[in-house]
This record gives sequence, C-alpha cells and structure tokens, in this order.
Amino acid sequence: MNFLVKSAVTLLTAGAVLNGAPALAQDYPTRDITFVVPYNPGGATDPISRQFSSQLEKVLHVGVNVENKPGGSGTIGAGQIMRSKPDGYTIGLSDIGALAYQPLINKGLVYKNSDDYQPIVKLSEQPVVLVVRADARWKNFDEFVAEVKSSPGKIRVGVNGLRTAPDLVIQQFNKVAGTRIVTVPFSGGGGEATIAVLGGRIEAMANSGAGNIGHVKAGTLRALAVFTKGKYEPFPDASPVGDAGYNATMGSAFYVIGPKGMPPAVLTKLSNAALQVAQSEEFRAFAKANVYVAEPKGPSEMKADIDQFSQIYTELLKFIDQR
Amino acid sequence: MTTLDGILHGLHVVFTYQNLLAALAGALAGTVIGVLPGLGPVAGIAMILPITYSLDATAGIIMMAGIFYGAMYGGSTTAVLINMPGESASVMTCIDGYKLTRKGRAGAVLTIVAVGSFIGGTISVAGVMLFAPVLGQFGILFGPAEFFALTAGGLMILSRISGGTLAAGLFPMALGLVLSTVGQEAVTGQNRFTFGFNDLSQGIELVALVVGLYGLAEIMLVIESLHTQVKPLNVRLRDMMPTRTEWRRSWAPFGRGTMLGFIFGLLPGPAATLSSFASYRLEKAVSKHRDEIGDGAIEGVAGPETANNAAATASMVPLLALGIPFNAITALMLAALMVHGVQPGPLLISAHPDIFWGVIVSMYVGNLMLLVLNIPLIGVWVSMLRIPNYIFLPLILMLAVIGSYSVRNSMMDVYIFLLVGVLGYILRKLEFQLAPMVIGLVLGPLIEKHMREGLFMSLGEVSVFYSSPIAITIWVLVLLILTIGIQRALIERLFGVRLGKIVLDNNE
Repeated sequence: MNFLVKSAVTLLTAGAVLNGAPALAQDYPTRDITFVVPYNPGGATDPISRQFSSQLEKVLHVGVNVENKPGGSGTIGAGQIMRSKPDGYTIGLSDIGALAYQPLINKGLVYKNSDDYQPIVKLSEQPVVLVVRADARWKNFDEFVAEVKSSPGKIRVGVNGLRTAPDLVIQQFNKVAGTRIVTVPFSGGGGEATIAVLGGRIEAMANSGAGNIGHVKAGTLRALAVFTKGKYEPFPDASPVGDAGYNATMGSAFYVIGPKGMPPAVLTKLSNAALQVAQSEEFRAFAKANVYVAEPKGPSEMKADIDQFSQIYTELLKFIDQR
Repeated sequence: MTTLDGILHGLHVVFTYQNLLAALAGALAGTVIGVLPGLGPVAGIAMILPITYSLDATAGIIMMAGIFYGAMYGGSTTAVLINMPGESASVMTCIDGYKLTRKGRAGAVLTIVAVGSFIGGTISVAGVMLFAPVLGQFGILFGPAEFFALTAGGLMILSRISGGTLAAGLFPMALGLVLSTVGQEAVTGQNRFTFGFNDLSQGIELVALVVGLYGLAEIMLVIESLHTQVKPLNVRLRDMMPTRTEWRRSWAPFGRGTMLGFIFGLLPGPAATLSSFASYRLEKAVSKHRDEIGDGAIEGVAGPETANNAAATASMVPLLALGIPFNAITALMLAALMVHGVQPGPLLISAHPDIFWGVIVSMYVGNLMLLVLNIPLIGVWVSMLRIPNYIFLPLILMLAVIGSYSVRNSMMDVYIFLLVGVLGYILRKLEFQLAPMVIGLVLGPLIEKHMREGLFMSLGEVSVFYSSPIAITIWVLVLLILTIGIQRALIERLFGVRLGKIVLDNNE
C-alpha cells in the first residue's frame, strides 16, 4: 500500500510544480524540498538526516522530504544532488569520505573538490574510538602502542571497510608514530568487526563511538583510546591520542550540500536556516544521544574544513602507496 | 527478572492500545508487503521507518518485527498462486507450491503455509525468550573462516537443489555467481563490470532479479499458452482444507524447518532466504517422499515456509542480546532504537525490559493475529485466480515494476527486471533450473567477502580456513553430504545389502 501513497505524493508534487509560476528567489521556499540521503536507512546517516529535515521544515515552513539514494560509498547520492537544478529545492547529506576521499581514488565522479558543489552546513563529527576485549592484556593505550612497536605487522585492528574513516585514522597513526598496525576491513558494517573482537579473532577494533558504547558500558569491550585532541565525553576512560603527542585525530563528519550555482538570496536563506537548525538545542540533544559531537559551521568554514581533509587524505594516500 | 516475571511484564507492555495496534498494523502491512511481488520486508520497513520515529521505541520495534514476520507469511502467497515469489525467502516455495496449485490444491497449500509459519514463528519466539542471552554468544563463534565453510560448502550442496540434470543446475548457478560480481566490490569498494553506469555500482538487486526471473517469465509463459490452457480449476470450499495425508506429511517438515530456521537466524547473513534454501535441500535429502519433491510435494512448501518464519524471529536474538544487527532488517530496527536514544548492546535486556519483553510477547500475539487473519484471507487470494487474465496479468506486471523500482529508487533495477525476465523465459524454455541462479547471486558475494576477510585477518595464511574446529566440522559434513551416493554404493558393495531397498521398505 505504501507505494500507492508514494505515487500519490509524487503526482501531487508534480502538480505543484506545473501550477506554480516561476517563483522569485526572494519568495523561496514556495514548495517542498527534497533531502537526499546517500545511504540506506539503517546507517548513521538516515536518523541524523531525518532529525535535520524535520527541524528544517519548522524553520522554512515547507515540507522537507527525505529520499534514500544509496550506493557507491555515498557518491551516487552526492552526484544526484550536484546534478540537480540549483534552485534550493534539492539538497542532501554527505560525509567526509564521499566528499574528500572518494574523488581522490575514483576519477569517474561528477565532482573533484569543494568547488564543484555548494557547501551549506556542517552538522557533526564522529571521533574514532579504539576498543579491545574487556580481558585484553593491555591496561592502557601506552601498553598497546608498546606492543605495536615491538611486534610490527602483528597487531590487527578491525575496521568497517577499507579506507573508511577508522581505517584512515589508523593509517595516519601508522604514519606519525612509525608503526605497522594491520587493519582488517570487515565490509558487513561495524557489527562484524565487533563479533571478531568479542570472539578473540582480532586484537582490537576502531569504530565511531555509537557502534560500541553499548558494549563498553556493559563491560564486554574496553575503550583504550580515542583519536581526538582532548577528552571525548561519552568515553571518559579512553585516552586522547592527540594529547599523547600523535597527530592522528581524524574522525568522520556529516555535512549538508547542494548543487553549485544557487541564486545568492536562496543560498543565504537556506544556509542561515540550516545553521539555525544545527545550532539549536534540540539538534545538540540529538547529537549527544547518538554520541556525535555537534559542530555547526556555515558554508565558508565548512569549505575550509573539507579542503583541509582533502589535503590530509592526499598526503596519507602517498604514504599508504609507499608501503 | 525471571522468565515468568518477564512474560507478565511483557503482557503488561503489549496489552495497551498503542502496542496492540502497532503489532496488528505491522502484521497487516507485512502481509500486504509480502503478497505484493517485489516489495520485500527491507523496502517495507524502510518505508515505515519514519513513522516509527514518532512512536515510542517499543511500539516502533513491535511494528517493525510485525512487518518482518508478516512478510514471511504473505511472501508465499504469490509464489504458490502465480509462481512469482513475493520476496526472496519464498523462491523455493514456487517450485512445489505452484505445481500443487496447478493440481487444484492452492487453498490447501496456503493453509499449510499459514500453519507452518505460525508453528515456526511461535516455537522460535519461545527459543528467543528462554535462551536469548546464551544464544547471543553463538554468533560470536562464527568468524570469516567458519562462514566461508558454511557459504562455499553450502553452494556445493545447493547446486542441485531443484533437481534436473547436473548441467541444468550448474549453468544457472554459474550465471548467478557471475552476476554477483557486478558492482562495487565489498572489501575495497572498487567498481567491477559497471561499464560506466554509476547505478550498477550497487550490484544486481536480488529483488529485481527474482521478480523478473520468476514473475515476468511466468507472465510470458501464460500469455504464450493463453489459447491452449484451460482456466485454473474452480476451487471448492472442501479443497481449501488440507487432506489428512497432507497434514500428516507436513508435521516432520514443520519440525525440521523450525530447527533449521532458528539456527540460521542466529547467524549473520540473509537468514530467512538462506534457511528456506537449506530447508528445501534437507527435505529433498531426508523426507520419506523425497522423490516427489520438485513435482508438487507438500513437504517442499511446508519446510521452507516454516524455516523462513523461524529465522525471521530468531534473527532478533543477535539484535536484542548483542546489539549487533545480522541482516538489513535488524539493522533498520537498530537505527530505530538509536533514534530513541536506546543504546543497543548486552545491557539492553536489563536496562530496557519494556523493549525486550514487549517485543517477545508481541511476537506471540502478532503470530496469532496473523494466523487468524490469514486463514480467512486464503479464500480471497485463491479467488484472485478467477480474475480474467487480461486484467490480472497487467496488474501483476505493474506491481512487479513498482516493486523492482521501490527497493532502491532506481530505474536501473527496472531495466534489470525486464532483461532478467527475458533471460528467465529463455532458461525455462531450455529446461534450466532457476533456483540455483538465485542461490549463486545470494551466496557469491558472501563467499568472496568471507574468504577475503579471512585472508586479511590471517595476514595471508591460507591455513585459517581449516584451523578452527567449527570450520573443519562444516567441511566434513559437506563432504559427507556430497558423497552420499558413493557411500551408499560402497556400503552395498562391502556388505552385500541393498540399502535403497531397506529404506524403501521402511517407508511402506
């Protein structure tokens, strides 16, 4: 039955498009906005998108409809956003991997860097946490690093896919600390790596905090380190890698983007509304409940952020290729 | 909290208007989603996910679980009636279910399916309730090496799942394996065989393939024989109920299906689909009437349909006990939990007894609702066969196209549906079996993924695949099953007895 509702909605929207005379940019928005999520519902991207769009609805007073467009590590959805008409009625979520990392390894994309799309707002960052089994022999991160150094190429850290944010930050650690931690990519999401750690098949796993906080609280897993500078509130016992003198503090991050070439009036209204949502108490509470770090940033700050990531990734890729 | 306290608490939670309504709405929506070809539980749950955000966490999960097992009830309806699986866990049901429909037994088959689903579902709930914390650990025993043995060994065993000659099974299976390599490779994310189509990087969608292979091909076959074929037999009320023989022959498959489904549900992967394959294969191996399976035997329907319901229910164990989703559907439930600020993990059962016991009791209630709903509906479904073909076939075609599109909002999947439909038609004309192709597509990526993960993990040591006791046990079992014919011949030779005869005599 759902598809009937869906097609009815589609028809109605189509009708609205035909009826509306070309609206002036100042009047924006006059109809519903489509919000593209480049992953399946079930990942971390879907809940944050729905939270954001439901709040954006209240600020802009039009409907904001979420549409999942999964595939290609987030590049298919990103491509759909960037190819859409730059009228402010198609925007969507993206993540640092799709925006800064994928263009470096995938030349067939419609975008190369942050000049090819319109940054709108940065929503959050998710630090990477290193966890081990509760009964693991390392009491703290220093002991772990000592063993990594004494037996290079033997300590295995599970990650949720090759060259995902957790994998890349471990590689960054390898680079700055001169170590050889081996990453094992489990592609079935973070869960597979978790059961591999619990089953003692690998020594540790690196993941964003949300996936493991349940096990850490239950005492089945222990958080040794977090790849940040400064404490990460949800994991008070994890030692911050940045404070230990290693410059390996990349997490993953969520952004809202649109196609480039929007009328300035539309962009201003949209990005102000988006920033207002990202800074709101309600959104911060949502971020906290999901173990995200809220990081509201407007378009120009966000662009600088992505460019910095691109720079780090480029250097990191050179390092990985040399190995 | 003891189990009894838990059940009482669960009853208390479930018997509120909101939660009962959530269970009913979920079960109903699930049945509809299951019946509509192409619309599977994943797409269905994804669509209602936003609705569950506005309910509380318990009601949301109750509703989603209802859709999952409701879809397992409904999915077999079109498989039995028109040889078009409503979702991928009902592929095996097509083979014998449709043949029985042609013999006029549609009503009886659907009744057996509903009762089998009820048995598989409720016994499985009891298992979840009593052993969830312990069984949660079962999944941890399985790593890449064990899964490689299970999937690669499974592929060998399942190659001749639907009978026919060896070539009739192996060729479509190879085709399925080849198709499964299309798209973004699971470990490193490299695109393979996408020929510049970005949409193909998601791979060949299982739903589009299944609906095309069976549904579109079947529509073409029906059109071809429009002038020669007589109308489906009129089903009388008496034919709605299974005969005593049919009941008697179904009990053992119900039991075996429940056990198989429950075990598969505890393991990562598309449990409902895999368990229905395994159950069909098991029935073919051990059933008294194994020679009839494939030509319209009730065992070939009763086993798989019981198994997929048991699996759907049991796959709640890893989610509730470990906070780890083992398939796409429980991943969606996890997302719903997290939106409500419920942190999944080993503490869920003690920290949120409302959710755990509420969901358990709701699954009893929901299964009962489904049984009560479905038995009267069987008459309605069967009477659909009386709709004139010039209305019925375009309607089915339209639903199938929408279903293929809706899974990923992708036109590419509609084109795949059309292409595969033509392919399925040709294969059927050449008397190839279709089920092995689906199995190839399902298992191919899993085998590759687990092998590569295993090698990553062992730092390239091949020995990882035969150094765990579980993996060795699985491989030995696979070898034993594969060489059953040789073993029988050997024993007959050595001891001079006719084993086949003895087995046959026991049957009479």
